[in-house]
Amino acid sequence: MLKATRLSKTYKSGKALDNASIHLNSGQISGLLGRNGAGKTTLFKILCGLITPETGTVSITSNKHKPIGAVIEEPGLYTYLNAYDNLKVFSQIQGAPTDIGTLENCLKEVGLPLNRKDPVRNFSMGMKQRLGIAIALLNNPDILILDEPFSGLDPTGVASLGTLIKQLADRDIAILLSSHLMTELHKVSDDLYIIDNGKIIDHGLTQDIIDSQVTLYTITGKNIENANVIQPYIVQKEKNKVTLRCESTAISDILKTLLDNGYNITACIPNITLEQLLNPVSK
Amino acid sequence: MMLALLKTEIFKLFRESKTWYAIAAVLLIELIILVAAYYQGAEILDLLLDNLQQSFYFEGNLLNGNLLLYIILNSLWFNLPLILMIVSSSLITEEYKNGTLKTLMLQAVDKRQLILSKFIASLLFTVMMLLLLMATTFVLAYGIFGTGDLVVYLGTLNFFPSEEAFNRICLAFASGTISMIFFTTVSITLGIFLKESAKTWIASAFFLILSSLLLKANFGWGTVERYFFPKLTNSWQRFFEYEVAATSIIIDNMVLIIYIISVVLIGTYYFKKQDVG
Repeated sequence: MLKATRLSKTYKSGKALDNASIHLNSGQISGLLGRNGAGKTTLFKILCGLITPETGTVSITSNKHKPIGAVIEEPGLYTYLNAYDNLKVFSQIQGAPTDIGTLENCLKEVGLPLNRKDPVRNFSMGMKQRLGIAIALLNNPDILILDEPFSGLDPTGVASLGTLIKQLADRDIAILLSSHLMTELHKVSDDLYIIDNGKIIDHGLTQDIIDSQVTLYTITGKNIENANVIQPYIVQKEKNKVTLRCESTAISDILKTLLDNGYNITACIPNITLEQLLNPVSK
Repeated sequence: MMLALLKTEIFKLFRESKTWYAIAAVLLIELIILVAAYYQGAEILDLLLDNLQQSFYFEGNLLNGNLLLYIILNSLWFNLPLILMIVSSSLITEEYKNGTLKTLMLQAVDKRQLILSKFIASLLFTVMMLLLLMATTFVLAYGIFGTGDLVVYLGTLNFFPSEEAFNRICLAFASGTISMIFFTTVSITLGIFLKESAKTWIASAFFLILSSLLLKANFGWGTVERYFFPKLTNSWQRFFEYEVAATSIIIDNMVLIIYIISVVLIGTYYFKKQDVG
């Protein structure tokens, strides 16, 4: 659907992107993980045609009038207009339908209320993100690119945006989203690109990449800290919550034993930091 | 598509509060001039024309609607173009500031058509402002001060009968509109280059001041100087010379239109070439 090959871009401050290649498939959520300033936004701007790379090509297979919809950095909205008028303006300029029914459906689709008639300057960050996504989805693009969509959102906002992103992928939209937050990308993305200093340093299935580096897990459950099976692995324990150090291959056996012993496990979260992925160690 | 872009630009322009502040400012300046003229105009005129009034007969009161219209026309020198330049340049600088230009460019929109729609929206707004200024001044000036002969000082004192004065004022407004379009077009192109509102406003004010200074300057460059833009933005004033050099004024305005087109082309080329974001 989208194939970008050997993209490079240099600014006055230095090389922002160095021979980066990426490909997106329909219905797949791809994550791009990297520190701030790693080159994520530059890559997105090139994919969307906002800036021209020095080298490399971007090829898109789509017969849509607008192949890519995107929200890059903060969503750029007309803050003096309400959500409906923002949608109307961006629809009108590209010949998309501007009737009330269609625009209200766009708002509903991203979970925005129809009764908010005030200017979007009064909106929360989460609502602005949702409106930005609604605008990006105008004209039904095949590809959706979201730059740091979880930034500035509260936990509820993060969770509901994650759900929305998965729903969009179910409609066969190829989605590429960036973050410097490992946990959020882990929850939503099928495959993961790791970018550092403008270079794609790793790519693979999200779970495989995490499994290859993760050594710490946080498990929650009633009285879990007393379970005998986990005692050799515990590095930290609190009431109903423990952190274990073990190989990814061992965790499933530990969990199975806990369940067999009657413990009610409510969560098992791999603890992995961005730094671990950027500086991987061979196992 | 171009029409849709233009409609959207005009919709956004009139939903921005600063546009209404600009309209209010222009009308307020007009009102202040009329009030000042009502209270002090007669005294000043009597002082200036005391000797002439003893030797000549003037039809009606010299402090009349035509003189007021001429005085308001003189706002074309600085305050009106400055206000118009601020509003017009905001069409592009606000888009840069709020990140909406990036959102626009992420839609299925042609970059060249987008910027051309902004130039055309600015042109329509300028024409509308001149028409508004002209209409309100005609109503207020004639309503309060009535008609009469027009006296204008351009090196010498020129007197025009009331009906002729009206025609000259209408033509001057038309010519002045072309000058205003030139200034607003320049302000959008400055906005494209500078991107930031404050920098663009300063550059626009500087451009206006420079144009006024160069208008008065005489470098002895012959034809080049004759068609240098600052000399052309003043064509509307030439309708108040005793003998109207119609052909020369038309040529001047045609050359100014060529300047306008050139400025639009430069702005469009640079906008299309540059990266967004």
